[in-house]
Parts: sequence; C-alpha cells; structure tokens
Amino acid sequence: MVSPSPAASPYDCRPPAPVNSRVEPFGPNALLVRFQNPDPDAAFLLIQALLRNLETHPLTGLIETTPGFHTLLFEFDPGHRPPPDALASLLDQLPAPTPSTHTLRRVVDIPVTYDGPDLDRVAAQRGLSPQEVVVLHSAPVYRVQMLGFSPGFPYLAGLDPKLHVPRMATPRPKVPAGSVAIGGEHTGIYPVATAGGWHLIGRTSLTLMDLDRAAREDPDAFLLHPGDGVRFVPVTSSPQPSAPPPATQ
Amino acid sequence: MTRPILEIVDLGMGVSFQDGGRRGWKRFGVPPGGALDDHACRWANRLLGDAEDLPVLEILLMGARFRALESVEIAITGAAVSGSAERWQTRRLEAEEILTFGQPSHGVWSYLACAGGFEAPRWFGSVSTFPRGGLGRPLARGDFLHASGFPTTPSSSSIGTRWVQPSERRDYRDPGMLRVWKGPQWESFDASTRATFFQARWEISAQSDRTGYRLVGPTLTTPSAGIPSEPVLPGSIQVPPNGQPILTMRDGPTVGGYPKLGLLDPLDLSRLAQCRPGQSVQFQPVDR
Repeated sequence: MVSPSPAASPYDCRPPAPVNSRVEPFGPNALLVRFQNPDPDAAFLLIQALLRNLETHPLTGLIETTPGFHTLLFEFDPGHRPPPDALASLLDQLPAPTPSTHTLRRVVDIPVTYDGPDLDRVAAQRGLSPQEVVVLHSAPVYRVQMLGFSPGFPYLAGLDPKLHVPRMATPRPKVPAGSVAIGGEHTGIYPVATAGGWHLIGRTSLTLMDLDRAAREDPDAFLLHPGDGVRFVPVTSSPQPSAPPPATQ
Repeated sequence: MTRPILEIVDLGMGVSFQDGGRRGWKRFGVPPGGALDDHACRWANRLLGDAEDLPVLEILLMGARFRALESVEIAITGAAVSGSAERWQTRRLEAEEILTFGQPSHGVWSYLACAGGFEAPRWFGSVSTFPRGGLGRPLARGDFLHASGFPTTPSSSSIGTRWVQPSERRDYRDPGMLRVWKGPQWESFDASTRATFFQARWEISAQSDRTGYRLVGPTLTTPSAGIPSEPVLPGSIQVPPNGQPILTMRDGPTVGGYPKLGLLDPLDLSRLAQCRPGQSVQFQPVDR
C-alpha cells in the first residue's frame, strides 16, 4: 500500500520558510523546542528535517524525541540534559535542511470504505452531499503531524476547511478499530476500539498497530510514522470486517 | 524456560504486571507505563538479587489473593499493612500457600517480585499492559503467572530473609513537600494563580488512576488562549478548563492540549503515586 517513491504533494518543493525556534526547559531531564512560526507547514517540515538530522547526528544521552503540532520534546537520561542554549546551538549546527529534506518521509495509501455513521450528518452540517465529502476528504495528501491520543492514532493535517467540524460534545463510548474520522481541523484513524469524539465517516481494513511486531519492538508495528504522508483511496464495496461469511447450504 | 508459580485466586482492586516501563515509543503515542512507585518496585527486585527493572506485580490497595503452585522465593514492598512484618523483605512461599493482600494502613500500591522475575508478554519492550490502547489485556482471576528461569529448591538455594534498611522504607502517610518545576505554560498563568497553587493543600480525588491523579482544591484560573497539542511528560500538572489540576501518571496521554502549570520532579512522582484518595498534598517550587 506504500507508494514506491514520495508522491508530489503541496508540501514537497516548498523553499524552507524561516522558523524561529525557542528551547525551553521542561523539568530537569527534558527540553521542549517550540517553533514560533504560525505556519504549521513550516514547523512540520523543520521538525521532520531535525528528526532526520538527529538520526545521523545523535545527541549524547538523548532517550527520545516526541513531536507535537509546533513542538518537539527532547528527553535525556538524568544528568545528561544540556542547557537550553547548548541545545539551541547544537540544533543550529546540524546540517541545514535542504530542499531534498523537505519532502514527506513516504506516502501511504489507505483504502477507505466511506460508509461511516456520521457521514450524512457531517455532509448536511456543511451543506455538502455525502459524495462531495468523500471527494474532498480523499483529495489531499495529508501529513502525519503527530501520533497520540492512543498508540498509533495519527493526527493528519491538511483537511479541507470545508470539512472542519467541531468535535462531538459527547464522545462515543466505543469507536470501532479502523474508523476514519474527522474532528476540528484534522482527520485521523482509530487504531483500536476506544472511546472517541471525532465524526466517523469511513473505515479501513488496514492494521495501524501490529501486535506481533509490537512484541518484537519493531517500529514497523505502526503503519504510520511521524512525517509520513497519507492518501485516502475510496473503495466502493468492501465487506464489513465483522460480517460472517455467507451461509452455505 | 518459564514455569507457572502463582495462580490469581482473586484480583481484589486490581493487579497488573509492571517493570521499568518503555522508552522510545512516545512518538507513536505509546505511554511509558511501568511501576508507579519505581522506588518500591526496584527494592522488591533488589531484595531478590535481581535486576531492578524486572517484571513485578503491581497490586492496588487490597483484596488480591494468589495461590503458590510451587515453593518460591518472593519479596513484597510498597503500601504498608499494619501489624504485618511481610513488607520490605523476602520470604519463601510454600506450595499451595495462599498469599493475601489485606487493607494497607497507608500507601496505595504494593509490589510483589519473584526470584528471577516474572515472565509476561511484552509490548514495545515492556510488560506494562495498556488495554485502553490495545496493548494487552488486564489480568484475570484464574490466570497462571509464570516465572523465568529454573525452580529453586528450599534447601539448596534459599537466599534467606533479607530486608530493606528502615531508612529506605518510605512513610506513605506523609509524602513531604512535593517539588514542582515550571511547566511550559507557567508564564501564561497569572501570578495569583501560581501563588494559589503553591499555597493550597490539594486533596487526591477518587477519580485517580494510572493515567492521572486528579487534585481537588481551589479553582485555578486557566489561561484564555488554548494551545495546540504538545508533548506531555509523566508528572505534568495540566489545568483543564474546570480549574482542577490533573497530574499525569505513567499511563497518561503522550500529547495534550491543556496548559501545563508545572512538572512534578521525576524523583517525587513515586511519592505522589502512593498518596491515596482523600489524602492531601502540597507543592513547593524547585529552587532554581
């Protein structure tokens, strides 16, 4: 389902936008880098470029990095946290992001059956037909801005403003795994059945979190990684994942 | 090789496998997990001469009962049971013996370690289950719990009774002043709200669990501007719109959009974890 090469997207060939970053301490062992530029695309691209640079230029004592929407958290082993200024200058010394680093990590195609229980209501709310919602939702290449809420849940940026709908006032107690949903200015996919307040417009049969691989500590346990691109591909007929096989005589 | 050593006869208020937790998976939204009181967890393993972060059982308050399937060396640390000399020391459990966790007089979590460590399925390098996020299932009555390694015989390899020196046993009646660092949104809270946070005594709410401990006290004024979701650390003191802080624990979300007033010092997280609902706590700023 993964495209062999990064597909063209609106985020590909943009020149690096100036982004101001500020490094703040977050307790004794962590530093939070905040990207001041209000342009979320620019912050996203810089965070991804930074993460790639760190893979080849690891920092001493760095345990893990966690991206947020405009932020990147650096956690260090106790006693190894550099002063904020030192991280700021270290980040400055990393190789400057080049146009080639300003691409999505890869683009993952996700087949979606658009038959979610909230599709008609979302369409009516936005003055669209359900079909128009499908067209608008499956048009962009989205960015995996961050993962959170539950393991493997991607916050996908790039949703058409015509589909921005406030989250539900009362979350559903149980959203089925594989549900494709929209909430606020984002779209996402529920990896496992959880409570959830986003509007369900479709479902995918792909596994977002592979537990066999989780047992082996394989990062590919997750279908989507921070920095990936995502394209939703409408499929017309797909059996309900839980439907019993047709009865035979 | 692994072998069953204990059967869960009763779950009581709750039992789970925990260890030192996982690192490196937060960027995928996987919380660190791990023993809430890592101090007590480490001592349970140390008593048996094992590596500090081997899997142990984390037992919530009271009611859990286990049946020993063979003679086995164990250590129990954590929540205090009055009149019982069993905590903070090793002991041998004989085959068929029933081990019961009674009502602790103070503290919340007890830790049970077995020689060689428990063997349990791991997700992303930790036995810490996270059923809400699809990682593992809660333990159930009738489950057999396995140990790794070979059985020990009482005669040949009894390690004798070892205990933790009193200075290392914590008094869970009083966590002391809990130290708090400035959080990422510290400057967004007004000065009187920040002062109120440190002056108040906060009561631990009954709506507290491994995800977060809720604090009940004066209503804090939250900054008017919302924040885009950003990374959260265990110990983060988040203030939702109702003005009652939530202290993120080890199964808490990895990202969040509530403003964070402060961060509990990582060394004090285990002290807070042992405070039970109704107990009150107080915070002081880290002096730097």
